[in-house]
Amino acid sequence: MLHSKKLVLAHFWVAFSAFAIAILLGEWQMFVRSPLSHWIGNPELYYRSVTAHGTVMAYVFPTLIAMGFGYAITEISLGQRMVGRRWAWAAFWILVSGALMASAPVVAGRASVLYTFYPPMIGSVFYYLGVVLVVVGSWIWVALMSVNLWTWKKANPGKPVPLAMFGNVAGAYLWAWTAVGAASEILFLILPVALGFKTTIDAGLSRVLFSWTLHAIVYFWLMPTYIAFYTIVPRAIGGRLYSDTMGRVAFALFLVFSMPIGLHHLFADPQVGAGFKFIHAVFTAMVSIPTFLTVFTIVASVEIAARLRGGKGAFGWVKALPWDNPTMLAVAFSFIMLGFGGAGGLINMSMQMNETIHNTQWVTGHFHLIFGGAIVIMYFVIAYELWPQLTQCASMPHRLMRWQLWLWFIGMMVLTVPWHFVGLLGMPRRMAYYDYTHPDIQPQAWGVVASVIGGAILVASAFLFIWILARSHRAPKVTPVRYRFAAAVHEPVHVPVALNGFTLWVALMIGLTVTNYGVPIYQLVMNPMSSVPAVPIGGTR
Amino acid sequence: MSAERLVSWRNRWFVWSVGVVIVLTVASLLIGFVWLPSAQKDMSSGSLWDMICRAAGAPTTWYQGPAALASRPATDVVLTPDFLQRVDATEIGRGATLAMQCVMCHGARGMSEAASPNLAGQYPDVVYKQLRDYRSGQRSNVVMQAMSQGLSDQDMRDLAAYYAFLPQANVVAHGATEAPQLVRVGDPMRNIAPCASCHGGIGRKVGSPWLEGAPAQYLQTQLQMFAAGTRRNDINGQMRNVARHMTPEEMLVVATYYSDQPALAGAQKLP
Repeated sequence: MLHSKKLVLAHFWVAFSAFAIAILLGEWQMFVRSPLSHWIGNPELYYRSVTAHGTVMAYVFPTLIAMGFGYAITEISLGQRMVGRRWAWAAFWILVSGALMASAPVVAGRASVLYTFYPPMIGSVFYYLGVVLVVVGSWIWVALMSVNLWTWKKANPGKPVPLAMFGNVAGAYLWAWTAVGAASEILFLILPVALGFKTTIDAGLSRVLFSWTLHAIVYFWLMPTYIAFYTIVPRAIGGRLYSDTMGRVAFALFLVFSMPIGLHHLFADPQVGAGFKFIHAVFTAMVSIPTFLTVFTIVASVEIAARLRGGKGAFGWVKALPWDNPTMLAVAFSFIMLGFGGAGGLINMSMQMNETIHNTQWVTGHFHLIFGGAIVIMYFVIAYELWPQLTQCASMPHRLMRWQLWLWFIGMMVLTVPWHFVGLLGMPRRMAYYDYTHPDIQPQAWGVVASVIGGAILVASAFLFIWILARSHRAPKVTPVRYRFAAAVHEPVHVPVALNGFTLWVALMIGLTVTNYGVPIYQLVMNPMSSVPAVPIGGTR
Repeated sequence: MSAERLVSWRNRWFVWSVGVVIVLTVASLLIGFVWLPSAQKDMSSGSLWDMICRAAGAPTTWYQGPAALASRPATDVVLTPDFLQRVDATEIGRGATLAMQCVMCHGARGMSEAASPNLAGQYPDVVYKQLRDYRSGQRSNVVMQAMSQGLSDQDMRDLAAYYAFLPQANVVAHGATEAPQLVRVGDPMRNIAPCASCHGGIGRKVGSPWLEGAPAQYLQTQLQMFAAGTRRNDINGQMRNVARHMTPEEMLVVATYYSDQPALAGAQKLP
């Protein structure tokens, strides 16, 4: 039973409103650096927009979704009122004020450092403080998830933790630990400079600390999507989850392998040893295991649904799937995008192959396909699933929802496939201007134009999504049926103690962080010559 | 169920997960730090420990390249954005006295009548850095190297503070000209960054002078010297990299453009 409707709605609405603004900025960026537009004259405007787009899409939007969904999961799956609802509201307001505080200097052009901070560039101190507040708000959520699980476990000793809650708390712990990297970067390296106490900054150490956060944060964004795969999809399409254990193992493995892999973002970094780059590549490859486990389990669950509907044959069952069901459509799209994006990701994580695409538009294409595509399309599903509970609307407009999901899928493919392609042609990322009249760049022009069109389709889809959500508030009201997550074919009766808690997995996560990050961080901290003059961004010079 | 212990040799989940992670870590450590480096010539010299250190990014000895690479750095000056941001009247006054030596070429109020750069209103970090480079010989000029020999570090700071304090040049604009492509956007395919990204307009980098109103001949000569490598006191070779790719005509166009502009140092003037 969902009690904290207002709380969850507040999170979702702020998240999706920020998302709607940021997607417009994204499309504007695509447009002004395409051959369709004249050069804007001032690259700072472009980077200002990129900073806002990235900060909202990477920090504010997914964090709010994970939090809102987490609160909903707590109440629905544990069947208890949430403990610490006041704290949850406090976390929400801290997060919102942090987001506003960070946006003000970005809008004013005082923090065009991009969301990955890029020291030695230093923007306004309020930008960083705002980001810190966003993280602090989300840590309160982590604590609340932990407390709620603990309360439930005390009341239900020996009972298996519901899978949705298991995944939810796995995501929370993953976030708590992964945010430590960027948080230390901001607190110990950036803020002293931004506040004016220091004029130099250790850019190499900053990069390594940020990489601690940068890759694992992706799996934090991914967690709600995977929870939706395991606990929403099978029920929504009329089937059962193939294996509850497989879900637990996948979440546990994400916890273990998400962290010790971030250095694969620094393959071109001269300050990190080649040996550590190799180890991080190995562990990055390990992430494919929970991914493949999930793909297998979800396809098996979908097959169960198809066979229950009379599907026959080795592949003939695919036709029997409920293709008019928006969730079915979304999970299929999500898997296609996950497949392409994952294949691209294998190239990014391989040191030699990465050389060909490092820092090109390929990378931008890759993370938009995975995050904007495979992950966000499931955020839509989560909202569509929970909306009747949250707004008590009688029904959701399935036709419009299908349109919206189709548009999102097509838009994302039209956006990102050419993006990958121009990356292969060597187009660098993070550039505000390209001279398409140059014969060497001309072959990239059509790809960039195609991406602008893809982006426009995505904007249309995003606003259709917002409209569907908004109109449900005014739809006739009914008392919603009790929400339930998908049941497994074999409901868990006895779960091994390792898969009913997180001690083992959190210990392994921290242990691997120490082995894989300990020496590189220690080395840079101890190196007295690794600081460089800071470069202030914006403001009077 | 509560009797089942997590940390126990009898718990298969514990044994297997910890075991596999340890095996995986040790195996990848051996491959990454021993096997792969041993296949690379530049990684494998010395003892096993040397090789491991090198793979960890902490070599026991650093690269000792040919003498040419290890020659003098471009400059010894390290600048920070807040350099000489706060000065008092005494420093400016001392600088004004010292500047009496400079009037012959740089003009009585920092406005040159020869083809020497105007210094009035120039950023203090620019004047200071060039003086230091002249004194150390990292920038060469017959007159300036001699003039800078007698200056102490404080003298140079005072001179920089004085020139920064002077009002900027009031050069008459020769009519509005549109900024050339190289100034506004550079030429990415030739790796030429726009002038305006460091010299004002789009952005300003520490150590870069504003150029408006500077004598065209001076600017052109400096570009030629950067291109030829006879001037090499740009810290990261950024000006040499840019100038090498410029044609003589482009140097003339850019130099003429800047000399025709009214001085607007520090102002965020968009090209």
